[in-house]
Amino acid sequence: MPQKIMIIDDEPDIRVYLAAAAEDNGFEPLTLGAEESVINIIADKKPDLIVLDIMMPMRSGISIYKEIRISPSIWHIPIILISGMDSLSDFMENGFRKLINDDRISLPNGFIEKPIDIDVLFKKIKFLLGTKQ
Amino acid sequence: MMTTLPNDIDKWIRDNLFDAVPMAIAVIDRKYNIIHANKSFEQMFGLWQNRKCYAVYKNRDAACAICKGSEAFKDGVARTNEEVGYNKNGRLTRYIQHSIPVKDDNGEVRFIVEIATDITEIELMRKEHQLLLDQVPCNILVINRDFRIVRTNLRLRQLLGDIDGELCFKALKGYDEKCAECTAHQTFSDGDIHSGSHVWAHGEDHVSHMLVTTVPLRKADNSFDLVMEMAVDVTKTLKLEDELKVAHTFLESIIDTALDGILALDDQSNITIINSAARRIFHFPENQIQITKDTLSELLPHGFLGQVAAGSKYSFLQETEVKTMDGDMIPVRLISTRLKTEDRFIGIALYIQDLTEIKGLEKEKLEAERLAAVGQTVAGLAHGVKNLINALEGGMYLLKSGISNNRMDRVSGGMDMLIRNIERVSMFVKEFLAFSKGREIHVKIEDPALIAHEVVELYAGQAANHGIELRCEIPDPVTPAPMDYEGMHECLTNLVGNAIDACNMSEKKENCFVAVRISEKDDILIFEVIDNGIGMDYEVKQKVFTNFFTTKGLGGAGLGLLTTKKIVQEHGGTITFTSEPGEGSTFSIHLPRKRLPQHNSFINT
Repeated sequence: MPQKIMIIDDEPDIRVYLAAAAEDNGFEPLTLGAEESVINIIADKKPDLIVLDIMMPMRSGISIYKEIRISPSIWHIPIILISGMDSLSDFMENGFRKLINDDRISLPNGFIEKPIDIDVLFKKIKFLLGTKQ
Repeated sequence: MMTTLPNDIDKWIRDNLFDAVPMAIAVIDRKYNIIHANKSFEQMFGLWQNRKCYAVYKNRDAACAICKGSEAFKDGVARTNEEVGYNKNGRLTRYIQHSIPVKDDNGEVRFIVEIATDITEIELMRKEHQLLLDQVPCNILVINRDFRIVRTNLRLRQLLGDIDGELCFKALKGYDEKCAECTAHQTFSDGDIHSGSHVWAHGEDHVSHMLVTTVPLRKADNSFDLVMEMAVDVTKTLKLEDELKVAHTFLESIIDTALDGILALDDQSNITIINSAARRIFHFPENQIQITKDTLSELLPHGFLGQVAAGSKYSFLQETEVKTMDGDMIPVRLISTRLKTEDRFIGIALYIQDLTEIKGLEKEKLEAERLAAVGQTVAGLAHGVKNLINALEGGMYLLKSGISNNRMDRVSGGMDMLIRNIERVSMFVKEFLAFSKGREIHVKIEDPALIAHEVVELYAGQAANHGIELRCEIPDPVTPAPMDYEGMHECLTNLVGNAIDACNMSEKKENCFVAVRISEKDDILIFEVIDNGIGMDYEVKQKVFTNFFTTKGLGGAGLGLLTTKKIVQEHGGTITFTSEPGEGSTFSIHLPRKRLPQHNSFINT
């Protein structure tokens, strides 16, 4: 049974792209836009890992991130954030904490800068899921 | 030599002369009885028959303590005295009395003949003259040809003490010899009246400035040995004159060194004062002393001088233009004041501030702001490009993956993705170029309300289709102002478009509204676009004015608000917003009137 990766991005092209890449890497892709019911869908589908674009304007990735982290049944699911914003360290120290504005919420499990290096992304996913290469 | 008079004259003298002489004559015996008197005596002293001389002269009951008549009876010597007695009306009378003893053959004095001349009038006149001399408000002295002071008036004595007999130059100035310019000397030389200015030194450190006039004191034969010198103290006047001069010089130097132009015109609009700065502003040549009112009138805004002369006390043109002599127009601030004394119009003062430099600085500031916006744009462009590269890589990936896995659906999906995103690249580039290039703004006097109505009109159909109430709110009429119609139209179009989208994204589909509100407060024009749509959360708010930030997916390039901000900045204004998620947003454009661009704007080269 392949592991399930939930890809949340509001750009259909990126969803298609990452889904194809996930499939090619032996995962079962699930894709979502930034719908209102995103938390319910996650709880229902129970993915093994979430790739979340935090620059989704409609419903900001940050608020989705916060909601996942405080939802009882899904808070433990590893999350990789994708952002076009700043360099990784800068973002972690300043941007992310400021955006989250809540000390109880833990940091994401991984962070990928745009443009996405697909190899780096899946190495990180496989590392987080303990999958043997 | 004795001559024999004709008989008739001799007779007239004996019979009539006694009564005809205009002096009072009385004959008095040793017992003070008046035994004879003439008509003049009667006229002066009244009835005398059977009366004592002391009763008639002095109104006394007994002989006088000092009696000149008695002395003459004793020594037989004639005397002349000045006496004071009472006339027939009881008035004090001054008279000169000659007492002449009349001796008999034995040399015994039997009678005294007293001859009195009334000098009351003369004495009165003398007193008046003395009063005049002493109290006239100037110092008077009489000097002789040796420059010795022979007489002074009271005023001078009060100032310098008793200086009679002293040399005038010593007494008045402390000099040891005659003054170089001696006014009295001139009068002694030519007999004319002369005037001059002199400084008298008296006491320690005390000087008085005197305006001196000298006149010859001529005798009956027109000769003169004395000169009267009249000196008026002008120290205070000179001091005032001096202070006035200082104040005038002070004002003049302030006016002339002022950095702003100052002009004064009299009631006929002739120029009376023009300072260097004003000359500089108008480019008046240095050698052109006279500047006519017509010349000035042509350089100032049309009809300005006339308006000021007829109008209220102050006129103030915050920003206007004047022409220079070279025909250039330069931006200035113009302040005028109607000058009045006691309700009489006496002229106009003009104050002209050259705004060229300030305008230049404002332009530089706007340019700097524009460059900063371009910088932001470049940073934003990088973000946009990242997303595009992502999508292009995605397309490439699908293409490769499709070919290697022999999946045609991926190949065609990858192709579509590539084509779509190449189009997006070209759209971004076009919009970015349009933004960075900018558009020259064309400033005219526009009615903000009209712009609002036209934008509302533009979106009326679209709003109605989505069940959104779109309205204009203009509580009070707003005075038209200089602005770029196209630019402000675009701003409101962007904001209203966003507001309608915000309503469409909102969960509540009923009672949605978008309002365009135009108002003015404290000389600031306010354009507001208010909606009760979806509102913005923290993250969205942070990114509102960032390039390529869009909440509309592929629907927008994300340049709308940035363009709006740029146009607002070009109008010297600011744009702010408030927003609550789920409650709606309000975008406010504030345009201070004094920062609005002018015609033939200095903004945008």
